[in-house]
Amino acid sequence: MCDQTFVAITFGPCDCCGKASPLMNIYIKSEATNYCSFCVEVMATQGLQAGESAASLKKESDSLKKKLEEERAKLSDIELSQVAEKIEVLAPLSIKTRRVLKGHGNKVLCMDWCKDKRRLVSSSQDGKVIVWDAFTLNKEHGVTLPCTWVLACAYAPSGCAVACGGLDNKCSVFPLSLDKNENLNTKKKSVAMHTNYVSGCTFTSSDMQILTSSGDGTCALWDVESGQLLQSFHGHTADVLSLDLAPSETGNTFVSGGCDRKANVWDMRSGQNIQSFECHESDINCVKYYPSGDAFASASDDATCRFYDLRADREVAVYQKDSIIFGASTVDFSLSGRLLFAGYNDYTINAWDVLKGTRVSALFGHENRVSRVRVSPDGTALCSASWDNTLRIWS
Amino acid sequence: MSGDVVGRQRGFATDVVTWPRMSSKAQSSNNLAHARRTVQQLRIEASIERIKVSKASADLMNYCSEHARNDPLLMGIPASDNPFKDKKPCNIL
Repeated sequence: MCDQTFVAITFGPCDCCGKASPLMNIYIKSEATNYCSFCVEVMATQGLQAGESAASLKKESDSLKKKLEEERAKLSDIELSQVAEKIEVLAPLSIKTRRVLKGHGNKVLCMDWCKDKRRLVSSSQDGKVIVWDAFTLNKEHGVTLPCTWVLACAYAPSGCAVACGGLDNKCSVFPLSLDKNENLNTKKKSVAMHTNYVSGCTFTSSDMQILTSSGDGTCALWDVESGQLLQSFHGHTADVLSLDLAPSETGNTFVSGGCDRKANVWDMRSGQNIQSFECHESDINCVKYYPSGDAFASASDDATCRFYDLRADREVAVYQKDSIIFGASTVDFSLSGRLLFAGYNDYTINAWDVLKGTRVSALFGHENRVSRVRVSPDGTALCSASWDNTLRIWS
Repeated sequence: MSGDVVGRQRGFATDVVTWPRMSSKAQSSNNLAHARRTVQQLRIEASIERIKVSKASADLMNYCSEHARNDPLLMGIPASDNPFKDKKPCNIL
């Protein structure tokens, strides 16, 4: 079973028998405990004697699923697009390519803005990670990783470091030095260790912790300084392709999406999966929170993007068109949350009206798949990364 | 016994990840533990408080309208304020 093999390897005294051994992080009555594998087996067989059986558990899980569906349906009194009928229609956006960042030798897979609104970091298939100044097109730093396919990169909140990871199963943090001649590889710090590729990484509110998602089906929270695993998140039954941290400072949740077509919302402190949404018909490539933190959007290979409200606990909008048949690989909201920019495998970026559910504009320019779109921190520009080896700044 | 081939081929991995197959004895207690975890998870999910979609939609609309004027991509900003737009060349008189 996937869950068993993806368990993070922590070592210590078992909460049940006290012996020091490799531990499994499990939940008993919603409390996280660590049991050694022997005690888990004992507990499983004890459950049998208490009158539970595989069949009764299955029956209970089916009835709970039905109850969940009914509860969610009860509150679905109106559609978001109906409520949004009274607001005025948006005029097509006057957004054009303002900059083209050339320099990568291969597909650009990921990018992230710095909080200073002008720098950005991008990573590509040839193992190169470049820090750019978007105003001047200057390349400020460059580092080559020993692996190919650097799938994830992130800028630290302070602007003093970048994190990246990919096929090397690790996420490494590079402090950025002011000395242009210094080789960043000398200061490299390997922080995260997964058992499969790292698909997404992000710093939390400080430079001290990073959150990663991986092809091994788990997400994990790491301490940058010590490289220690602080919390692991189990629940996905296939590769996790994307994650996003909730925007508010007090928020302690994040959302992840994966190949099991599920988008899960997690509590960072307990490791608990709070909510789960299974609406897509194919892999979820990207998830992103709405600016208020009460909703999130997802992009999937089934050519649709969907919008979910967390307090109503359901999907409230689907962004699709018959003419769009290629998968969506990335989404991001504009500053107010009214626009959703989605990058597709047919080389275009579509801007959707989040509330009305209609397409406002289509942005053309890239000559290959769009792998990532990100709105700048002050909302002035949109950056898109593509398999055509370039990044474009739209404004 | 060769291992199961699991893990998606996303077009970049040149080798596939294999996981060892578990013995049948371990599998039955695994299934039970897995079923129990699923039930626990569903209990947690079923017990959360939900609000009506009409209220949620109204809140989303309010947020959008409150922040709309600060949204440069939505409203458009003058070229002088936009660091990415090329400014018109100056004519020295």
